[in-house]
Amino acid sequence: MSQSLKVESKQAFLNGVAYEIKKGETILSFSRRLNEDQTIPTLCDDTRLEPYGSCRLCSVDVALTADGSRKVMASCHTPIGEGMHIFTHSPRIEKLRKNIIELVLSDLPEQTLVNSQNHPRTEFEQVVVDTGVGQVRFKQGRKSVASVPFTINKKGESKLCDESHPYMRMDLSLCIDCNRCVRACDEIQGEQVLSVAGRGFDARIIKGQDVSFNESDCVSCGACAQTCPTGAISDVFRQQLARVDVSQHIKKVRTICSYCGVGCNLEISVQNNKILSIEAPKDAAVNSGHTCLKGRYAWRFYDHDDRLDSPLVKIDGKLTKVSWDYAFDYIATRLTKIKTKHGSDAIAGISSARCTNEENYLLQKMMRVVIGTNNIDCCARVCHSPTAYGMQQSFGTGAATNSIDDLQQTEFILLIGANPTAAHPVTGAKIKQKVMKGTPLIVLDPVKTELARFANWHIQLRPGTNVAVLNMMAYFIIDAGLVDNNFVNTRTEEYQRYYQEIMLLNIDELADIAGVNKNQVKQAAIAYAKANKAMSFHGLGVTEHSQGSRAIMCIADLVMLTGNVGRQGVGMNPLRGQNNVQGAADMGCQPHQGAGYFPVDESEAISYYQEHYQITQKNTWPTKIGYKIPEMFNAALAGDLKALWVLGEDVVQTDPNQQHVVASLANLELLIVQEIFLSETAKMADVVLPGTSFLEKSGTFTNGERRVQKVNAVVTPKKGCKTDGEIIVDMMNALNYPQEQYSSGIELAEKVLAEISEVVPFFAGITWQNLGVDGLQWPVAKDGTDTQILHIDSFKRGLGKFHFFEFEESQEVLANSNKFPFILTTSRNLVHYNAGTMTRRTDNEEIVSEDVLLVNNQDAINKGITNRSKVKLFSARGEITLTAQISDKVKPGILFTTFHFPELMVNRVTGDITDKHTQCPEYKVVAVDIRKL
Amino acid sequence: MSKNLSQLARRQGIENTLFQKLVITDAADKSTNLTQQRTALAKEFLMGEAVVHGAASFYDFLDDGTSHNNKQHNANKKAYVCNGSSCLCANTQGTIKEKLDKEFGSDNVGHVICLGRCAENSAFQISNHNFSGTDIDNLAILANEPSTASNEHYQVRCTLTEPILTAEILDVAKYYQLFITLSEQFNTPEKQHKLLDKLVESGLRGRGGAGFPTGIKWRSCLIEENTEKYIVCNADEGDAGAFSDRYLLEQRPHAVLFGMLMAGFLTGAKTGVLYIRAEYPAAIKQTEQAISEFEALNLTNDFCFKIIKGAGAYICGEETALLRSIEGQRPVVSVRPPFPTQSGLFGCPTVVNNVETFGSIHFIFSNLSDTQNSGVTKYKNLGNGKSTGSKLLSLDGAFKYSGLIEVAMGTPLVDVIKLAGGFARELKALHIGGPLGGVVPLSEIDKLTIDFESFAENGFLLGHASIIGIPNAMKMINYIAHLFEFTALESCGKCYPCQIGSVRGQEMFEQAISGEQALNHELLNDLLDTMQLGSLCALGGGVPLPIQNILQYFEAELMPYFIHSELVKGVQS
Repeated sequence: MSQSLKVESKQAFLNGVAYEIKKGETILSFSRRLNEDQTIPTLCDDTRLEPYGSCRLCSVDVALTADGSRKVMASCHTPIGEGMHIFTHSPRIEKLRKNIIELVLSDLPEQTLVNSQNHPRTEFEQVVVDTGVGQVRFKQGRKSVASVPFTINKKGESKLCDESHPYMRMDLSLCIDCNRCVRACDEIQGEQVLSVAGRGFDARIIKGQDVSFNESDCVSCGACAQTCPTGAISDVFRQQLARVDVSQHIKKVRTICSYCGVGCNLEISVQNNKILSIEAPKDAAVNSGHTCLKGRYAWRFYDHDDRLDSPLVKIDGKLTKVSWDYAFDYIATRLTKIKTKHGSDAIAGISSARCTNEENYLLQKMMRVVIGTNNIDCCARVCHSPTAYGMQQSFGTGAATNSIDDLQQTEFILLIGANPTAAHPVTGAKIKQKVMKGTPLIVLDPVKTELARFANWHIQLRPGTNVAVLNMMAYFIIDAGLVDNNFVNTRTEEYQRYYQEIMLLNIDELADIAGVNKNQVKQAAIAYAKANKAMSFHGLGVTEHSQGSRAIMCIADLVMLTGNVGRQGVGMNPLRGQNNVQGAADMGCQPHQGAGYFPVDESEAISYYQEHYQITQKNTWPTKIGYKIPEMFNAALAGDLKALWVLGEDVVQTDPNQQHVVASLANLELLIVQEIFLSETAKMADVVLPGTSFLEKSGTFTNGERRVQKVNAVVTPKKGCKTDGEIIVDMMNALNYPQEQYSSGIELAEKVLAEISEVVPFFAGITWQNLGVDGLQWPVAKDGTDTQILHIDSFKRGLGKFHFFEFEESQEVLANSNKFPFILTTSRNLVHYNAGTMTRRTDNEEIVSEDVLLVNNQDAINKGITNRSKVKLFSARGEITLTAQISDKVKPGILFTTFHFPELMVNRVTGDITDKHTQCPEYKVVAVDIRKL
Repeated sequence: MSKNLSQLARRQGIENTLFQKLVITDAADKSTNLTQQRTALAKEFLMGEAVVHGAASFYDFLDDGTSHNNKQHNANKKAYVCNGSSCLCANTQGTIKEKLDKEFGSDNVGHVICLGRCAENSAFQISNHNFSGTDIDNLAILANEPSTASNEHYQVRCTLTEPILTAEILDVAKYYQLFITLSEQFNTPEKQHKLLDKLVESGLRGRGGAGFPTGIKWRSCLIEENTEKYIVCNADEGDAGAFSDRYLLEQRPHAVLFGMLMAGFLTGAKTGVLYIRAEYPAAIKQTEQAISEFEALNLTNDFCFKIIKGAGAYICGEETALLRSIEGQRPVVSVRPPFPTQSGLFGCPTVVNNVETFGSIHFIFSNLSDTQNSGVTKYKNLGNGKSTGSKLLSLDGAFKYSGLIEVAMGTPLVDVIKLAGGFARELKALHIGGPLGGVVPLSEIDKLTIDFESFAENGFLLGHASIIGIPNAMKMINYIAHLFEFTALESCGKCYPCQIGSVRGQEMFEQAISGEQALNHELLNDLLDTMQLGSLCALGGGVPLPIQNILQYFEAELMPYFIHSELVKGVQS
């Protein structure tokens, strides 16, 4: 390159040395990037938060020429400018910092200085040491803590430290008013539970209207505790004080949370094989130092007394402890017998979206290659199977088209049938941050969720009418001439037919059916279509319906109509419910598709699998599409299915129409359950195999944005237990299949992942080593390049396909609404996870200890129901008793509850209507009635 | 500041601000439970309850939920006594407090800094009506009939041949005709830039105290592409001793409105917000009236005014705190950049100027076509070239003719004193420019002229140009303690140097006064340096100046309060 063409980079001087400056940098970030030896101390700074400028410790001397007059400026909020001369440690600056720290110490317990000098434990104490403050010269004066009111703790004692909450703690005698907690609560979680009361010296942190943590609306995300530099706000685990300390045998292990499809990275402090606390690593691509109360605090289940610690076999009707060898022999003998007598298809497996990719892969391999059946399914069946199916029909790939990080770029959000602030809290918080800052939001939901409160348009439709409203939106977009014609013409097919059908719709009738205001739908649709970049998110409120798959294709239609796919900041993004539900399907835990989504009944795919699994006898590959989960139950009841292997799923509690499930399982000859607790399903088993939690195993999880991330064992498996992968490998061997037996969990993870990358094309470039800390988003090419955005130039299936579906009323409503005029819809809450197996064995149980039934005030009056009164809820299947809560979150005629307390048997009332295409159960629409008890 | 809260406030707009709702509900409805009221507000504004409580608890005159069981609480008192520096120097408030206590009971008497009655002193407030001077003699009547007119009287004089700020506005319709003419004449962006050139040429600098060139500020707002912009008039004249803004709002409100209207026209803003401190009830009333008069003229559909009433917090005079206050956030100082012209009210480009700055616009934009004799020319010809135009000075009760004087920039301070008829009592110093302005000993008076440069060069600060006489009887050690106390009371509490430093400073001086602990010279210097260099805004950064002035010029008086050896060192250095 010739000299004249060379672009002059802009420079500034750091302690006399010239460096290039970058756009948008502050003096602090400039200095941090370049000078690691002599860092600028800070207290109020947290790189995830907006610059605040309260501690002034980051002050530096700034001059415009090397010898020019210097001005003191706070580096955290002063942009670096071309030609600036920055002096980070001039004598007057060092003195200023010392004096500031001295002031801060003058308002803290005297012990703080002593502690700092002896053994600095907190970020603040470290700064005290670094700035070299040796004494506080001020005569003992006022302490701001004097104005802090006491809080009553759980024992009824009045204490300075707020100990009212199961997890959160606040001791303002240690507070330095940096407001990092307040800002984290606002800027990261978006909850604004924390603020400051008063002003000046007496300003102090408050929760709510100056109430205790327990009385406040705190969601226990722990962001405040993680960022607090002094420990003034902390938690019972003192997370921010846990430091790596070899002498104390304290280490930190990074792994992936197992609670939902967000895939938060966790950094776990461990001492002598015991977990001390969990933090969220700041450098994690997925969660950047944030997580929710489940990920951060709900881990105590891992060494709970209820954990299984030995294989159990039902002997004389009683589950009895046996050795592993006995258990494997027993299963092998009985499975072989059943297979010989009834054929391979009399055996089925249900895999677990909670387990690793490797474990899911192994289980489907065992079912297909060792047993010889495609009867393998996973809980995606009961949640996002319509997403996978519908998106495959429309686009060719049944996974999120974009990444969560695209939220940063998007200019519009369409949220359908999902409550992410409860069910996907970190993604929910990110969406809330966008919306609070002004990004328009449409929420399509029968329930007034947290995000619906902030929505510009909350279309509160009747449960089960998604297709009607989505079609209305399409109508209004087309009618307003807002179709992205270029996209539709070049990237899609079947538009004309779709267009004609849509334009024939009777909009007033649809509005009436859905119980929505058509003008609101119109406004929302037009705003969505006009946005440059709109992202859609959806959850089980779309899929768990009789028209679930069809609603998915309707969303895909809207996305294509508006050209919102294949770019940054757009796309169609399912919020996957479980940590590895994406992975379970990717690994082939589906009856119609093997690992990598090849159809099991097509000859090309059959050859592919046979080759990969080195199957030499042509006839041993199962070519018949297997049972879906509901079909398994039906087959068991009919006597066609004899044996069922269930990995980590409590189908008795979580599948709909419980009586039916129980009867089905009871009719099996052999039920094998791999579990960590003796679940209701395990209680019915013939063999129970004690597996391990995610904290005890290594492998990979794939989150909702196709990101394959490393799960690292934090502690060793509980005595008497084996990792689930090891159990399956041992079982395969017991069935005489030569699956390699690995010497360690890591080896299993590494080698099985290598095997997966041979079979699953979109894992081609994934190795245990190259996953790194942030993982890779599939498809990953051989060279390791991963993919943030799908369908950029063309869809996986070539052209995107428009599908038109007419709204159809659910059979449940048609058949039962006369007798049962209310519609019950269900969802997760923030505190608990699904059947509560894990969360309810933690102190989360103290935060929320029951499922309540939300009833609209009008209905409550009609039915004589008051707040907290017990009500009987009954459907065509059965009845249960719940506590009612009057709420404006639901419209008249609609009832809502969560499903974390299976003893309430919500699934006793749910029905067995399923999605036509995928047999995903219609959990979200149940015709019920209520009566005050 | 919180971007989330700014944007959530923006959703509601200026007509429905959380802050005004707090002010109104707090004053009005005592029947419903305060907590429930605030829960409902939090829900309405989609903000956390802590946000509402935190904001309310910042202000002197808003209940933080504890006033019912906290007699110290300053909200909703029947009467308030003024604790401003001028009344302190005049030594009138002991009697006032005593009389108010007697009339209302001491639990029902709050305090306030300051009512802007510095020309007369003896200032107090009853039921939102301010009184001063001899009004206290009628206390029995005022207590029953607070709407009784005050007997306030102060001088308003002008040394200019053609008054600028003090000029009477006889015909309101005619006065606004200039806006019509200019808005028709300068109707393209290019022409607007030309008009801004004129404003720059006039040399007008912000009259709040910082002296930033007004034309440059307006232009930086004009070039922002945002379609939503705001003009904000900073009428939170909190400097004890200053009452010139109060005068303008009460007596010349159309001059202020006109300036804001022009600012709107020249920046593309459609809304003008006047943030007027609660301590100035008459100013609020007069401005409301003026807005009605303006609206009745039907001049434009393109600009509207909104008054936001303050609730008692000195820091709200700092522009970023003021903007946060309007938004319903806690009015703590925000970092800059971004500057308000880039991201101000509700995150939109905003011009924030002082009352007096806006009040100067009409004069400057008059007779523009007459190049020899245009307002611009006349304005820039006043002063020393860098500080141009006129300045309103607030002279407190220490002067014979206390009140306001409008003088040309550059007028010698001694001339001002002469015009004021000299001192009404024996003084040893003048405190000029508010609590953060310099303390000028009599010996230095003849060095100063009324302009930004002269004051800065001599180690003082013109500021908002209020002048308080410090009497001989006032002990300087007490005055420093008073300054630290004021800073500690009014510090927003964000940055450590001001938040903690002001309290430690106050304690050091109180301990020295009581004899408990003599002053440590090195520690005091470290403290003042830390506040001056390290503070986020001009409050913590500014208060060391008058204290250093006193330490320099009244060393002998203060000597007994220092640890002896330290003092010797201090003197030597």
